[in-house]
Amino acid sequence: MRGVRKLAAIFSCCSAVLIWPACSVSAQTYQGQQLVRAELSADTSAVVAGKPFTVGLLLRMAPGWHTYWRFSGDAGLPTELKWNLPPGWKIGEIQWPIPLKTIDPGDIQTYGYQDEVLLMQEITPPQKIDGTSVKLVADASWLVCEKICIPGNATLRLELPVSAASRPANTELFAHYRGLLPQQWPAKNVATASWSRSGTDLRLTITSPSLAGYSVVDFYPLPGEGVVTGHPTIEQRNKDTVVFRIPIESAGKNLSSIDGLVVFSQTPNGEDRGAWQLSSTPAVSTIAAPPARGLATFLLLGFIGGIILNLMPCVLPVISLKIFGFIQQAGQSREKIFRSGVAFTAGIFAWFIALAVLLIALKSVGGDVTWGGFQFTNPYFVLALSAIVLVFALNLFGVFEISLPQSVTRGALLSTDRRDLLGSFFQGVFATVLATPCTAPFLGTALGFAFSQTPAVILVMFLAIAAGMSAPYLLLSAQPAWMRFLPRPGPWMLRVKQFMGFLLLATLLFLLYVLGAQRGVEGVIWASCFLLVVSVACWMKGVFLVPNASPARRNLALALMVSLLLGSGFYFIGGKFAHATSADAQVRGDWQAFSPQRLQAELQQGHAVFVDFTAAWCLTCKFNEANVLENAEVREAFRRYGVVKLKADWTNGDPTITKLLQQFGRPGVPLYVLYPGKSEQPIVFPEVLTKNMVLEKLEAAAHRVAAQ
Amino acid sequence: MKTKPILTVVSLLFAASALAFDPPPVGSAAPDFSLTDAKGNTHTLSQYKGKYVVLEWFNPECPFVKKHYGGGNMQKLQKEYTDKGVVWLTIDSNAPGTQGSLTPEQASKIMASWNTHQTALLLDPDGKVGRAYGAKNTPNMVIINPEGKIAYEGAIDSKATPNPADIPSSTNYVKAALDESLAGKPITTTQTKPYGCSVKYKSS
Repeated sequence: MRGVRKLAAIFSCCSAVLIWPACSVSAQTYQGQQLVRAELSADTSAVVAGKPFTVGLLLRMAPGWHTYWRFSGDAGLPTELKWNLPPGWKIGEIQWPIPLKTIDPGDIQTYGYQDEVLLMQEITPPQKIDGTSVKLVADASWLVCEKICIPGNATLRLELPVSAASRPANTELFAHYRGLLPQQWPAKNVATASWSRSGTDLRLTITSPSLAGYSVVDFYPLPGEGVVTGHPTIEQRNKDTVVFRIPIESAGKNLSSIDGLVVFSQTPNGEDRGAWQLSSTPAVSTIAAPPARGLATFLLLGFIGGIILNLMPCVLPVISLKIFGFIQQAGQSREKIFRSGVAFTAGIFAWFIALAVLLIALKSVGGDVTWGGFQFTNPYFVLALSAIVLVFALNLFGVFEISLPQSVTRGALLSTDRRDLLGSFFQGVFATVLATPCTAPFLGTALGFAFSQTPAVILVMFLAIAAGMSAPYLLLSAQPAWMRFLPRPGPWMLRVKQFMGFLLLATLLFLLYVLGAQRGVEGVIWASCFLLVVSVACWMKGVFLVPNASPARRNLALALMVSLLLGSGFYFIGGKFAHATSADAQVRGDWQAFSPQRLQAELQQGHAVFVDFTAAWCLTCKFNEANVLENAEVREAFRRYGVVKLKADWTNGDPTITKLLQQFGRPGVPLYVLYPGKSEQPIVFPEVLTKNMVLEKLEAAAHRVAAQ
Repeated sequence: MKTKPILTVVSLLFAASALAFDPPPVGSAAPDFSLTDAKGNTHTLSQYKGKYVVLEWFNPECPFVKKHYGGGNMQKLQKEYTDKGVVWLTIDSNAPGTQGSLTPEQASKIMASWNTHQTALLLDPDGKVGRAYGAKNTPNMVIINPEGKIAYEGAIDSKATPNPADIPSSTNYVKAALDESLAGKPITTTQTKPYGCSVKYKSS
């Protein structure tokens, strides 16, 4: 073979700003032109014993020349890297950035990289390192092609000092290429993939609501050993579904699927491209991964969670009424008490089962079902819940009485058995409905696990929660003797009842807050107008619809109430509320919508940027925002230091944001990142913020930037 | 917003239909062709019916081709099997002006200087024959049996590298297929993924 490549002299590289580790750069030249410059790079300034870091092979190619991906396609050859490491060092697989797809005349499709690429690998030093520096050596070989192909290789060296502590290095370079890595396949409620085979064709169907936002969707295959496939083509593309046809060309293979990347971007080979890795070997998922605990543990958690649900402010008022009911019934027959307890339990179970069935049905239809998100994305559901909560609060205050036998002021003496049981049943149902806003934060992990499971598991989970929630009452109703541990009836019960009303109002405030997020301030006002009318209707009920009023009066009052409710319903809700739009992130407290381009633009302009990764259904996020981020002092600090505030809304699992979360090693929201400046390492906050922490870090970052 | 996905689908369908060409399946009839060689003689596939025919896609600039010619590996194969009555046709489907495209004079010069032993070096500057056979790489090998059906298509050997040192340790699929066929045995490996540089077709 003629010598068409020469290795340039090895020289070390330095940076004006940072002290770089000693490294070697190799250049491949052909006919006087430098085709490829290869060097090794690390993301740390020093090696710390036992602490993993990332190394990368940086290839810089002359314009028009390209190197290849791990699967080169119809032609070409993937870049190879063989490491020569001192004993005790471990190195991981190459992390290949999403390649560019090139189609040459003759429909020759290849996958590779142009201009520059960094092939990263995780490397772990041993627990003990001798010496003050380490030298890592690697043999790299590649094929670089333009109109012709030239193979190239180089032996590259990277020398790093050994130290007790290290600082990040080359952050921009590594961050850029980390952002171009494919993600693990997301959770089932974000995207699903299914394979089918007919003859020599494989078909891959991808369904994901996130795809609707991308113009270009493609599949880059990673066929295994001995497998030859034709070019994937798109057979069908709807808004959120795409069907790929992949012809199989290798004979004699019982192939039912192949690995590959599902790639999506706004423009073909765009810089914004993202991808999901589809692989038959189970990959360690970092997004929304439930901890690998057994079913039994989750059932136990569900059961305990169910018991604790009874203490939630949204549930306590109803439960306390039930307890009062028991107290009242203390003198009654055991059977009666037991039956009412059972009816209450049945109500709880009924609601949870209905919920489980509904969720299973939605899952099978393929809806985007996430706990909390599912129910609370519908503003009308939230509105309805608000009305119910208000009505019940008013009842607790004594504005009106519900003429069901459970009401505390009416003794069980005036009721019939059946009404009694029915009343208990509905109390159970209502208790669970009210439990819904409270379950999300508390049972988060357990439910997250359940939702990715089969319908049977979901049902069982819900039954466990229902069992936990109803256990105390069932016990009490079965063993009324234990009720002697409960306090004796008295006027205190009235005051506790009224106090519970305030707890319900607190729940109402939370619901109005959610409405505000969904329909804006206007939406909340219109909803509140409607709720005001509801309150008036309740008052009317209390005054006019009493048993000892004349039928005429009662009918008139009832008619008035109904027409008021319907009228205000149509006007406020049907008319005004329905048209209220949610407030944009822009409107609220000078936060702006996040996008990677926006982040870069602000950093380029020399601003510090604080990014708040949040989602509508994330209560921890709301807590942090309300408590800390919107605190006056904190806002003033943001303003004073000129920090730009960006909000990244992950409510629908936006892949761009998912990529970033992955970059920071987080499975989900919340995530708070402060970028002090262009060349500074981003600062990551813990999940729960405190005011002092934020103020301190803002100040520290500002000083660091100022000192540069 | 609705036009974007439609455009994508349309353009992809267009691209797929306009340029898509897959290699004809093993066992199907090999497409006939008529090409002139470096000396100006015309060769057709049909004229060689009744014999085993090997088609080898060629590009003298490609490192993967040079791997096999540099050490004499390809020439040895060509001599061995043409001596046994196999017709070995080397085809150059590269478009004029691209690296590796040959004029008849250049082709004759290469054949002489590289001491090649194929039956003929055919020039296919329009790329029609290459496309008919779905040839995407150089080297790409196709073996046609005496009945005119495709018996093997794919790589020349098992190690997809440009390194000649890999030749002795790799399985030569063409040699294996020809040895089996000439002994009257069925071919074990009838299809593999070819490797090499891309054929530089004329843009349509």
